[in-house]
Amino acid sequence: MTDVPYQQNPLHTAPALNRRIMVRLIIPIVLIGLALLSNLTLIMSLSNLAVDDLVLTDSTLGELLIWMAEQSEEEAPPSLLGQYAKTWAEQTNNDILDETLAFTATRQILVGWATVNALLMIAAILGLVTQARWVRVVQLLALISVLAMIFVVPPIDNHLPLIMLTTGALVVALVTTPGPLTKVISFFAVLSIILLLWQTGKALAQSQAYDITLPAQNWAYQTYETLDMALAGLQAGEVDAVITDRNDVRDLAPPFPLPADEETDTESLTYPDLRYLTDLDTHQATLGFLPVVPEFPGRLAVVVPAAHASALTTLDEVFAVRVGTPAGEFADERYLAENRETMLLDLKILNDINLPHLQHIAEALLQPARRNGPFLLVRILSNAALFTWGEAILGFVSGGLLGFVLGTLFAHFAPLERGLLPYVVASQTVPILAIAPMVVIWLGAGPQAVAVISAYLTFFPVTINTLRGLRSPHPNTLELMRSYAASPWAIMWKVRFPAALPYIFTALKVSATASVVGAIIGELPSSMGDGLGRAILDFSSDYSLISTPKLWATILIAASVGILSFLVVSLIEYLIIGRYSQEK
Amino acid sequence: MADRAMPQPVIAAHEVSKIYNPDSEEQVIALQDIHLDVQAGEFVSLIGPSGCGKSTLLRLIADLIQPTQGDLKINGKTPRDARVDQDYGMVFQSATLLDWRTVQKNIELPLEIMGFSSQERRTRAQAALQLVELEKFGKHYPWQLSGGMQQRVSIARALAFKPSLLLMDEPFGALDEFTRERMNMELLRIWDETDTTIVFVTHSIPEAVFLSNRVVVMSPRPGRITTIVDIDLPYPRVFETREQPRYYEKVTEVRELLRDAHEV
Repeated sequence: MTDVPYQQNPLHTAPALNRRIMVRLIIPIVLIGLALLSNLTLIMSLSNLAVDDLVLTDSTLGELLIWMAEQSEEEAPPSLLGQYAKTWAEQTNNDILDETLAFTATRQILVGWATVNALLMIAAILGLVTQARWVRVVQLLALISVLAMIFVVPPIDNHLPLIMLTTGALVVALVTTPGPLTKVISFFAVLSIILLLWQTGKALAQSQAYDITLPAQNWAYQTYETLDMALAGLQAGEVDAVITDRNDVRDLAPPFPLPADEETDTESLTYPDLRYLTDLDTHQATLGFLPVVPEFPGRLAVVVPAAHASALTTLDEVFAVRVGTPAGEFADERYLAENRETMLLDLKILNDINLPHLQHIAEALLQPARRNGPFLLVRILSNAALFTWGEAILGFVSGGLLGFVLGTLFAHFAPLERGLLPYVVASQTVPILAIAPMVVIWLGAGPQAVAVISAYLTFFPVTINTLRGLRSPHPNTLELMRSYAASPWAIMWKVRFPAALPYIFTALKVSATASVVGAIIGELPSSMGDGLGRAILDFSSDYSLISTPKLWATILIAASVGILSFLVVSLIEYLIIGRYSQEK
Repeated sequence: MADRAMPQPVIAAHEVSKIYNPDSEEQVIALQDIHLDVQAGEFVSLIGPSGCGKSTLLRLIADLIQPTQGDLKINGKTPRDARVDQDYGMVFQSATLLDWRTVQKNIELPLEIMGFSSQERRTRAQAALQLVELEKFGKHYPWQLSGGMQQRVSIARALAFKPSLLLMDEPFGALDEFTRERMNMELLRIWDETDTTIVFVTHSIPEAVFLSNRVVVMSPRPGRITTIVDIDLPYPRVFETREQPRYYEKVTEVRELLRDAHEV
């Protein structure tokens, strides 16, 4: 942490100001107190759980231990955790790991974890009161530790809401504590808020049956005793449209537009000068951009004078004019008289299939990839990630080299740039998904084909930025080199290349993440089973409560590979050019 | 190195012209019939309004561009040979230091290109840093220095390989007035210590008068030399030099010449 502790700030040493600091400390102290209270409730609740309580058995740890118990039945479990389970069972003089023992351990771990959190919060309060310099470190540790529990405790009973309350209080306390918001603090504050919003959205979705509606003003309309009176009123101009059952009006008035294939004798019907609309857009009426429910039922029809039939095309327009209806019928009682509501939010996106609980994602990682399989998904995915990463690195290196060579050639030979650059740009407008199958056919399904596809995404930013970077030196610098009678070689390696390095690294950081995406896309048409591409394909083809958390887990792993690549390039950048670009 | 005992001028320009886009509609006569001899050890300033060709003349001397007509000799050689022989050092308005090299390494850059041994490079760079009084800043990066300090490093770099001629293109143009006056004094001290010949392009009349033996007044369209003014103020010139009546007379003389040149 590079924070300047607030008590070291000379402004804060004056006694009057010290009092003001104390006032500003009250908010975080109260908030951490609240978090502590909520956390103590959690500890109480956890320690009172029965051993076979769902909260324990369905927790990420519980699920893991169930699998370990199963593995301990094996003669020689292939995984490390399985072997550990077997040893553990033997130490407790059992053939297989006892589940009661396992769940007791789960409870102890959870209670112990929550107790450590409580101690951290107490330390944070003490630190705030004494204005200690380490207080923000402790606050951050407490936040991270509590945040991690969201991934372990299942969304059953009140445990998860308690953890969320604790997290929320700790985040606000951390942000309101006087002092600068460093990169690390900001990162975790934003992360906590995202995860809290995620779980809050799911809680909302659960309580409101996936949508939030507001009552809207009901539509005004006129009722008539019978349908005939209503249609007479329409003819007399008392109303502009009549809404009634389609079946009732079918024999009284011709439809609009008239069907083209058959001759309809409009004159023989009772109301030849009226039309019922068949082509009306009867989708939900909208209030501004928000949908208004309920939908217009298909059994209803809108009747209008023949002269105005073409003027009304949507339901909105119908409700903008004077509407009449026969009293007591479906249209009156079940549709027009019903409460209108404005749908504010359709939360279907937050249901468990579309957006799993965070704990379910963590759980998916720590469950066997196949039922009772010997390896956890996290291990399978890590192997897949390593495989994909290997392809991506191969693609990144070859694409980066190609990009650098092209950029250097373009920088030195202007005709080459003018002639070839359009093709380089065009290559990036062709969708990679269209190119990938061809590359796989040309080179055969294998890592080399995937690497080529990955390189295809990688080289472009490097080319452009190398070109820009090599041309970035000031004209005076180049004149200076000429005045030294420097060779083109010396100008390249002593001036142009070092000047281009920051540009090249910017491109490499973009390419590092793009190369991973390219490798995953490249794996799809080559139907290779070893990489992340196959895992994504598998889990997304079966969109279900079991599969979606696994898909999210895979996304998480894929993203980690990309982020790791980015960090590695950033680290190399820092080691090479960090020391002179500190002011930038 | 030029032998100062010889009467041969460091710069000898005879009927030198520079025409851009000759024999076309957009023909621009940047310089016309330039006659100028600069003797060894002289401090000569080129002054004139924008477009008078003073920077063009400096670039011709440096062989960054070539004359259309006329005869130009540096130390009796063609500008090209003089450039290859490292007869001159150059300083621009921007310090043009390389961000990724320390101050010391920046000064060593021309020495590296000229193939000096690393031992020799270090010694010479140290000496050059001492000359501009920045010996404590060798390990710093350019961004850690002020604008004036950066410009001193750029002078040290130009002097590191001990050229007989120093070409300066508005070197203090981007500095504030106080720094500029201090840098003027510094430059005179360096000139005195090194016996270098200096050709100095500037926009500032007081600066030109304060520094130079001779001020070459130029006028635009086409770029040519109007008058060459001898500045007979004694050296060493000090802070008080600027308060002498003779200094004012010379500043006024140059100013009036420039005004006349502009009105033509």
